[in-house]
Amino acid sequence: MGAYIVRRLLQSLIVILGVIVITFIISRVIGDPVALLLPPEASPEQRAYLTKDLGLDRPLYIQLVVYVAKVMKGDFGHSFRHQESAMKLVFERLPASLYLSFVAVLLAIGVAIPLGIISAIKRGTIIDRIGMTIALFGQSIPAFWAGIMLIFIFAVQLHWLPPSGYGGFKYVILPATTLAFFVSAATARLTRSNVLDALDMDYVRYARLKGVPEFVVITRHVIRNTFVTIFNIVALQLGLVIGGAVITEFIFSWPGIGRLSLESIYSRDYPVIQATVVVAALIFVVINLLVDIVYIATDPRVKRN
Amino acid sequence: MKSPEDSRGSQQRLKLRKLFRRIPKGAASIILILLLCAVFSPWLAPHNPIEQNLGAALKPPFWQGGGTMDHLLGTDNLGRDILSRIIYGARISVIVGFVGVILAGAVGTLLGVIAGYFGGKIDAVIMRLTDIMLSLPFILVGIAIIGAIGPSLTNVVIVLGITQWVGYTRIIRFEAMSLSRSEFIEMAVISGCRWWRILLVHILPNVLNSAVVLATLDVGKMIIIEAAFSFLGLGVKPPTATWGAMLADGRLYMTVAWWIVTFPGLAIFATVLAGNLIGDWLRDELDPRHQLKA
Amino acid sequence: MKKYLLAIVIVCFLIPGLVLGAPKGKLVIAQGTELTSLDPALHGTTSEFNYDHAVFDKLYLFDVDGNPVPRVAVSHKIINPTTWEFKLRKGIKFHNGDPVTAADVKFSVEHYLDPKTKAPLASFYKIVKEIKAVDEHTIQVTTDKPDPLLQKRFAFSIFILPSKYIKEKGYDTFLKRPIGCGPFKFVEWVRADRLVLEAYEDYWAGSPLIKTVVFRAIPEDTTRLAELQTGMADIILNIPPFLVNQVKGQPGIDVQSVPSGRVILLYINTLAPGSLQDKRVRQALNYAVDKKTIIDKVLMGSGFQMAINIPPYDFGYDPTLKPYPYDPEKAKKLLAEAGYKDLKLVLNSPSGRYVMDKQVAEAIAGMYEKAGIKVDFRMREWGDYVKDLFGKKLVDTGLIGSGLVMYDADGRLSLYFLRDSVFCYYVNAEIEKWILEARVSMDEKKRKELYSKISKKIFEEAPFVFLYQQQDHWGVSKKVKGFQARGDEQFFLYRVSVEK
Repeated sequence: MGAYIVRRLLQSLIVILGVIVITFIISRVIGDPVALLLPPEASPEQRAYLTKDLGLDRPLYIQLVVYVAKVMKGDFGHSFRHQESAMKLVFERLPASLYLSFVAVLLAIGVAIPLGIISAIKRGTIIDRIGMTIALFGQSIPAFWAGIMLIFIFAVQLHWLPPSGYGGFKYVILPATTLAFFVSAATARLTRSNVLDALDMDYVRYARLKGVPEFVVITRHVIRNTFVTIFNIVALQLGLVIGGAVITEFIFSWPGIGRLSLESIYSRDYPVIQATVVVAALIFVVINLLVDIVYIATDPRVKRN
Repeated sequence: MKSPEDSRGSQQRLKLRKLFRRIPKGAASIILILLLCAVFSPWLAPHNPIEQNLGAALKPPFWQGGGTMDHLLGTDNLGRDILSRIIYGARISVIVGFVGVILAGAVGTLLGVIAGYFGGKIDAVIMRLTDIMLSLPFILVGIAIIGAIGPSLTNVVIVLGITQWVGYTRIIRFEAMSLSRSEFIEMAVISGCRWWRILLVHILPNVLNSAVVLATLDVGKMIIIEAAFSFLGLGVKPPTATWGAMLADGRLYMTVAWWIVTFPGLAIFATVLAGNLIGDWLRDELDPRHQLKA
Repeated sequence: MKKYLLAIVIVCFLIPGLVLGAPKGKLVIAQGTELTSLDPALHGTTSEFNYDHAVFDKLYLFDVDGNPVPRVAVSHKIINPTTWEFKLRKGIKFHNGDPVTAADVKFSVEHYLDPKTKAPLASFYKIVKEIKAVDEHTIQVTTDKPDPLLQKRFAFSIFILPSKYIKEKGYDTFLKRPIGCGPFKFVEWVRADRLVLEAYEDYWAGSPLIKTVVFRAIPEDTTRLAELQTGMADIILNIPPFLVNQVKGQPGIDVQSVPSGRVILLYINTLAPGSLQDKRVRQALNYAVDKKTIIDKVLMGSGFQMAINIPPYDFGYDPTLKPYPYDPEKAKKLLAEAGYKDLKLVLNSPSGRYVMDKQVAEAIAGMYEKAGIKVDFRMREWGDYVKDLFGKKLVDTGLIGSGLVMYDADGRLSLYFLRDSVFCYYVNAEIEKWILEARVSMDEKKRKELYSKISKKIFEEAPFVFLYQQQDHWGVSKKVKGFQARGDEQFFLYRVSVEK
């Protein structure tokens, strides 16, 4: 097990490096930050000065080497737009994204897991149909649409909640719900299929034969045994949500790294693009690693060579 | 006197008939309508979807005051007929959904099978590749590719294929792995079967079930991603009508012209829902455990 | 007795304060983009200027008609064509109590000009050769060549920075806790969320009437509007034209509509060999656009037809020119004459950069199709578009907007017609000569004549497809009193008040 962890950690480093290099190349191909930083009236001398100052006048491979060398030392460079170090900007926004993601996943779990369990228990009945359709609802509408509709209904029409902003419950609930829509759909359905599998297991049938009340069967045996798989599912969703809540953060003006990443891409702020991607990749890779470790530790069917 | 082959044949026919009876009717009919719209749009649509008529802009659907029978579902801000745009939009959704899914599915399944069968270093490389793909923000990849080769339908599908294959690989890999350890495959290896034959003939067909299920579930996702691209300004280029673009462009008009966004939204919702229902049903059907029960 | 006198004097000072009221209330302004730094020298867009106007002051500012109004400067004298002298107002203080002196003005100008600062607007001031502090309240500016616009340049930008504070505490401290001599003091900045300011009651023009000002950055249009509609934001800019009536109808909200200084037009690349190098083709492109319908139907009436690219706000505007009429037959005739009956054209357009930009471009594409021109419509992401635009790689035509800079035609003309400009896609030696001549002439009448000549030539040569001048719609909560919308997308808050 230990050797496996070490190997995966090394591989994760390679993944991050790969992400850095690919992002680096892609960003430099797609545009000219100097053109976006200066007004059209700026003189050629100004443009040349800025290009040199940002290090963009050197050939691509030299820029890459210099960048990677700096990253090894932990220096992700300075934002082109903001007067701040790129990593500092990301870390400033990270708590907001984590906060939003956790609330979203909690919401999703709170709704989706009971929904999945009930649907599994009542398999084939109308309750199952309804439950799964509700869950599917979340996957059937685009996130930006859901967000805008929520703002329209709960803020503009009902005046119950503020349309956007950062803060406590009343600010986070709408964006978290928007995010939760998608997460809960997947979670509910995966929960249902896993519970179905568990219900088929011999130990459940045995418990029933023994006369154990159904309720205890459900809570003690089934849930406990599906916990691991559900943990995997949730963890994976969390990883995706943290990095990917881009559109939701944009619509609700939530100051997280998703919005930072979107704005840095639009303004070709290379250092910040790189920094956000690296941090999102790190989070994702770590969560992945944890999930895989838990999987291996608990599932005897999967053996590594 | 019926021969064993005959009865097997009729048994299979019986199975197929039972299968069709069990298809979720509602979902199937939605998909059917979608395909019909996509194929027969020039005949079904009452108007040219890209023809502007600024004088008839923002007309409501026929049952509201100010609406006409000429434009059943109303017009958008440039006077284009909403119903026609939805019918033609089905084309885009079908292409994006099906072709995108085939592209992503093919790549993802292939990689998953390779990773699962060979294991070891190859598996590690492919898995880390999926990690990299998942970490790259799809917007960045989208801007890069579409910026480089232009915003066309083909290119949007390419972007979808490039970014969405990862969803298949993990799951297919897992299945391929357990299949590879089965006695059956071990037998094949012992009896001298070449690796590519094993992959193509023995493993691939068996993971196809899962792949198909995943694919049908993904169709909806592709359509939604296309909508997100349109929202970000990267979508299929105007004036081509896509449901996603109609949603994205129409959102500002929501409060004065609700029909511009509601109908494409319903279309997306219905299609994705239908795709998911069929995918779920397929999964239940193809699950060997449930077949045993029946 | 003296004690009573003192008490009476004190009360006399207090009463006006009690009557007028201390600054009160909170004003929330929602803009589309966030600030990236707190140094005004690093700002180049109007939404950033709005923060600058609150915390800092300039030598002059523009009134709604584009006339420079004295602020930190009280008067100026032109000693010779290349030397100006400005007298500064006495008694102005920075937020920390330091007096505003000529040294600060000199420091500020030099800060903007220093290449290390990387001020985006530096090129507007490169005409300044030297700036001298003659005495505590007088500065002398020497320019490279005669510059009729110097006073306007100081109304456009150069916010006065506290030289002593920056020298003592360091630039980095200034970036974190900026101080200026404007009506509001900096309180806090939570990046991407909000910027909070509070009233500076010792402001030289009198205490502002609002206690707290909050700037919020809300990038999504529908969300920003929702903020206004729910009363969470008090001022927003750019209400979409088709929503204006609906917003006006809402209780508690007002809409102020002003002609904008922003002009929308279609760029034509005449540098690449092809059909667009023929004047007749370009004129045809102008005749083929039904500007009235675009304004009435796509913009719901929010726009004004333009003859060329200079709006009435700019000095040098020629009111005698009338816009190209809509004449698709004439367009077809001109195209046939030039030998391009089946013209194929690429039309680029950004999406969401300007109000209804994509929709206008789509409408134009439709009109061109009706005139027999085959249009390849390309919607471009802004960063991608700009890369082409500034690299002289724009293919055929593109929708572009140009904003108000110094209320002077020189800005708009130099940008487009001087061959050095990255934006120049049309070269005409005669026009260039006239522009450079008008630029260094201190004679207003002569400048006007030159601009009139240039305008007529531009109209005839049709280097662009001229479209319209925008109309801006500001959404203002009825709680807000004294707010005045301007055509340059900026606002000033020191006479604005908020009631409960």
